[in-house]
Amino acid sequence: MHVVRDVLDKKLLDHEDESMGRIDGLVMQIGKSSQPRITHIAVGGATLWARVHPTLGRIARRMAGKWGPKRREKVRIPWSRVRTVGRDVTLDVEAKHAGAIDWEIWIARHIVERIPGGGHEEPDDGD
Amino acid sequence: MRLKRFSVIAMALLAACKPPTPAKQMDSIQSWLATAELDGDAWLRHAAPDNYSRQTLELSRETLLQVSHDLLSSHPPGVDSAMLDSVLIRSRRHIGQMSRFIEAKNPPAFARQLDSLRADQKIVKRIANSIESGR
Amino acid sequence: MKKILQISLGIVTAVGGFLEIGSVVTAVQAGASFNYQLLWAVLLGTICLIFLVEMSGRLAAVSKHTIVEATRERFGFPFFFIVMIGMTLVAFLVLVAELGGIGLSLQILTGIGFPWWAIPVSFLVWLLMWKGTFGLIENGASLLGLVTLSFVVAAVRLHPDWGSAAHGLLPTFPGARKASYWFVAVSILGASISPSLMYFYSSGAIEDEWDESYIPINRLTATLGMSLGGFLSMAVLVVAALVFHPRGIDVQKFEQASLLMTTALPKWGFTLFALSMLFACFGAALEISLAIAYFFAQGFGWNWSEDLAPSRDARFCLTYTIIILLGAVPLLFGVDPVKVTVMSMALTSATLPLAIVPFIFLMNDPIYLGKHRNGWLSNSVVLIIILLSFILAVISIPLELIGG
Repeated sequence: MHVVRDVLDKKLLDHEDESMGRIDGLVMQIGKSSQPRITHIAVGGATLWARVHPTLGRIARRMAGKWGPKRREKVRIPWSRVRTVGRDVTLDVEAKHAGAIDWEIWIARHIVERIPGGGHEEPDDGD
Repeated sequence: MRLKRFSVIAMALLAACKPPTPAKQMDSIQSWLATAELDGDAWLRHAAPDNYSRQTLELSRETLLQVSHDLLSSHPPGVDSAMLDSVLIRSRRHIGQMSRFIEAKNPPAFARQLDSLRADQKIVKRIANSIESGR
Repeated sequence: MKKILQISLGIVTAVGGFLEIGSVVTAVQAGASFNYQLLWAVLLGTICLIFLVEMSGRLAAVSKHTIVEATRERFGFPFFFIVMIGMTLVAFLVLVAELGGIGLSLQILTGIGFPWWAIPVSFLVWLLMWKGTFGLIENGASLLGLVTLSFVVAAVRLHPDWGSAAHGLLPTFPGARKASYWFVAVSILGASISPSLMYFYSSGAIEDEWDESYIPINRLTATLGMSLGGFLSMAVLVVAALVFHPRGIDVQKFEQASLLMTTALPKWGFTLFALSMLFACFGAALEISLAIAYFFAQGFGWNWSEDLAPSRDARFCLTYTIIILLGAVPLLFGVDPVKVTVMSMALTSATLPLAIVPFIFLMNDPIYLGKHRNGWLSNSVVLIIILLSFILAVISIPLELIGG
């Protein structure tokens, strides 16, 4: 489907053009009479690795629950939050709250910032 | 497709890790004798530092020991093993002496050993040629 | 005026950053074992590289995507993953070789064995990436790498028969030791045609915010820079042919290679070789680590930029940290970097189609390049050379493993 091809694997940007990762998967609704349409954008290792092989997807989901930010629910962003689809896909959300960059924040806080010279991530700044 | 290629390579490796031929071993011996000679020549001309020259001479000597041992224990046909063994023992001794004379900072004595090494090289080359032509 | 400065800097950094342990070791082995006969392999590899580097820059300038980004978006994650595995495995081996090259250079300068240098060297490489910016790394390392011009000086001073050397630019078939000949040819091609360099170059173009107006500059710097670099490799081969070949020295160890310039430049030749390898391998280690980290970061959509503080692109920085640490491990165990170099160069040749074929698809895709798509010449030259490298690699690697 054209829309899928135009959107899948593209970079995601939030409402301030901050990077949010990539579109790893799409959730679609297939109706009996209507065209299939995209309902959600999926971001995350489980979705991504499942595309290579379902077993890898299961392993990724298990690891996501055990390590790092320990997120159990999948990251799902409603398609209604999409603002533009161009070279990248921009969203009407804040990166830090969407869940898509939980790993980035976790690694920044727990590993990188503990090493001298690592800098500091300002959590509540519009930085 | 990829798996097939991998199995072919794996089987080839298993089936045929054959040891080098006598001719190849003689090439290796000559290569390392020449390395020691070039290194020695460089040191005499102050083109190579003491530490490095000694370590390279040592490396040459050890490698020569290894390859000569492999070659001679396989009793290569058409080779005067006794003569080859004796010239290789001599050359290793010369290289060892060169190493000591670097430490003692004695260029004239070093130069004499280097000349002896060059004479050894000529003998080894004659033996190598006879293996070549005898094939 | 600014553009002239940019072009000059681009060429200078290309030349200074061209040589690394792969190109030097393969050129030395070629010259020592086969005289001038394999100059054609350096020429062919360099021509192919010129086309590929120009394309990498053009893709970034026009599509505002790096090669890695465009590969994932165009082909989807599963295919991208296959390319990533192949490329990063080989690139990792090359990183081990480069770190080893730095260690070996320090070994011949100080007498302290290279395994002892593994950790300090890796730490220094990491520190530069942690604290440095892209400009500092790219330009600094390349400027230091200009010391490799001493290979050209050595070649000239040895008064080669330039006529005989020129003959080597035409491919010839080997007399004896056929398997070894083709294996060294394949290694030279793998050393010249470096996918990591392409990934690094396209990322650099994005970091430097190129646009379509940079296309002519890109063409000029790619052509001149890579040509001069290839010329440097040829100089190394020529010196090795004049110094090692007549003496029958088959160069297998770094200690042997270190004697390369001692006849042409008695006073400084040894030190210049050591410094050349030191700086060249250092620059290459930085470049490869970045290239691998870019693969992960750009492929997965993380922040990546050498100009950001590490906490702003945490996953990217964690990736290169882990890679560099792992790269030191084989060296700690005393694995010979020269052997790793030769094998990784040959493996690069064998895996070239994996990197280049998708890339050629991208270069012909109007969505990414619009009217700046490839012409038939670019496509043909690259595909023919890649196919050749691949076939030779598949044939000669097993033969070398058996016989060598």
